[in-house]
Amino acid sequence: MIPAKFDYVAPTSVEDALSALAQHGDDAKIMAGGQSLLPVLRMRLNAPEMVIDLGRIESLRGVREDGDALVIGALTTHAEMVTNDLVRQHAVLLSKAAAEVADSQVRHRGTFGGSCAHADPAGDMGSAALAMDAEFSIAGPGGTRSVPASEFFVDLFETAIGEDEILTEIRVPKKTGWGAHYEKFVRVAHQWPIVAVAATVDASGPADGRAISEARVALTNMGSTPLRARATENALSGAAATEDGVRAAADQAAEGTNPPSDLNGDADYRRHLATVLTRRAVLKAAEA
Amino acid sequence: MDLDHSFTVPVGVETAWAEFQDIASVAECFPGATVTGAEGDTFSGSVKVKLGPIALVYNGSGTFTEKDEAAHRFVVDAKGKDKRGNGTAGATVTLTMDGRGDSTEVKVHTDLAVTGKPAQFGRGVMQDVSDKLLGQFVACLEQRLGENGGATSAGVAAPAGGADQAAPPGETPADGSGTAPAAESTPPPAESTPPPPESTPPAESAVPPVESTAIPSEPVAPAAPPPASAPRQPSPTPRGSDDALDLGRTVLPLLAKAYWKQAVVALIVIIVIIWLIAR
Repeated sequence: MIPAKFDYVAPTSVEDALSALAQHGDDAKIMAGGQSLLPVLRMRLNAPEMVIDLGRIESLRGVREDGDALVIGALTTHAEMVTNDLVRQHAVLLSKAAAEVADSQVRHRGTFGGSCAHADPAGDMGSAALAMDAEFSIAGPGGTRSVPASEFFVDLFETAIGEDEILTEIRVPKKTGWGAHYEKFVRVAHQWPIVAVAATVDASGPADGRAISEARVALTNMGSTPLRARATENALSGAAATEDGVRAAADQAAEGTNPPSDLNGDADYRRHLATVLTRRAVLKAAEA
Repeated sequence: MDLDHSFTVPVGVETAWAEFQDIASVAECFPGATVTGAEGDTFSGSVKVKLGPIALVYNGSGTFTEKDEAAHRFVVDAKGKDKRGNGTAGATVTLTMDGRGDSTEVKVHTDLAVTGKPAQFGRGVMQDVSDKLLGQFVACLEQRLGENGGATSAGVAAPAGGADQAAPPGETPADGSGTAPAAESTPPPAESTPPPPESTPPAESAVPPVESTAIPSEPVAPAAPPPASAPRQPSPTPRGSDDALDLGRTVLPLLAKAYWKQAVVALIVIIVIIWLIAR
């Protein structure tokens, strides 16, 4: 379908984008890569009067090191996340998750920041960012503030970003040397996951026992926001990186979750999937 | 899809029941709802659904299709059409109240049907969206009952008792008088209150535009057909035709531009064939 008529502006700085946003307020919609917004416009599920395209703001692109963290521009594409050396070295989970986002075309247009700001509970990057304890830099009229991932995802399609604010950067603490895996279960290729699990583990200890010293596990599409599987994380600490060693911890993955029921599967099915996928994700992460 | 919610309010069942007699103020509890007209058991208005990337406006109307005062149960049937013609949304809300001394347990069962593009939007997102919106609706009802029931229980309870005695379900007045008092006694909320701003949080719209005046003195007529109110009601928001998609107008010039050569050739071929046959 053809979208309803809208005006379009492509500012070249964050300041200009913020003032455009202040000017149009509720009638404006921010566009990063447009991979979620454009389908919504074409289905006429929304008809903003103004689309503010961030695509020409160069300062929002790229990955840089800042002490013990990586700073990733919100407009960094998924494809860039997959291949970027800094990301692969210090936050390999983000790289692995980005590789699983939709299809190649979407990955070359869609952005890390856009995906997080969209906050689809079935979006792949949200849980990966949550597992990495990312911090989101949000620019607004009063300056820039930082929001931890645990507070960033508020509800279904709802984030801590205010109506007059723009997500500019994502700051990710380095997990150098950690293994990672993103295990995604789909029925149709390139579709949203029915459930997916983002896992990153530190299994760099003595090689003989191959024990996991620390783990981070986050779940996709197991609730209205990405969720951390805290019970599993705690149980994994010190566990052997073997099928039996991981099984008991993974079985707790769905604890405290309230997954949705739909045509793809009911809540119980999703809880079961979460445990199975967590086991696979952790094992593969420990191997890597 | 069926959605169930329940809550308990610290007021007696009669007070709670009285609070729900004004259909317009019940409807306005729905997030993003604006009631443009209400008469008797029927209301009309629009609902703006705004959630993340989605912003839809449904125009429609609703009716009390059932009102059982003895069982403290009512059914509201609401139907709406997407302003841009994408689909429809219908909801049958059944609300049951159970008195438990000083408190009342309220159960809300909603049978929701969404058709068109929104229903197809990415997986079962509309279900999540609906569940969330209904959760807010129910929270608003709960808050209304909590605040008004508690604070103004005296003021509301008295007329409620009066209404009970004045119009028990059995003593249904004659047909003619059935609609007339309704039209008189039901305040037009659209006039007496400014419509709430779009996407008003439930907390704000919880302030009821009409309170004790809302107790209808019209007979309780189970499954009463909606009063012939269409002509008298303020018409809902005029449907904007400016943004409607006119496929013909959009596509025809493009087709003409792309295929005029082929069209001319075909015309010439036809003329030649006719000429050959005629010869």
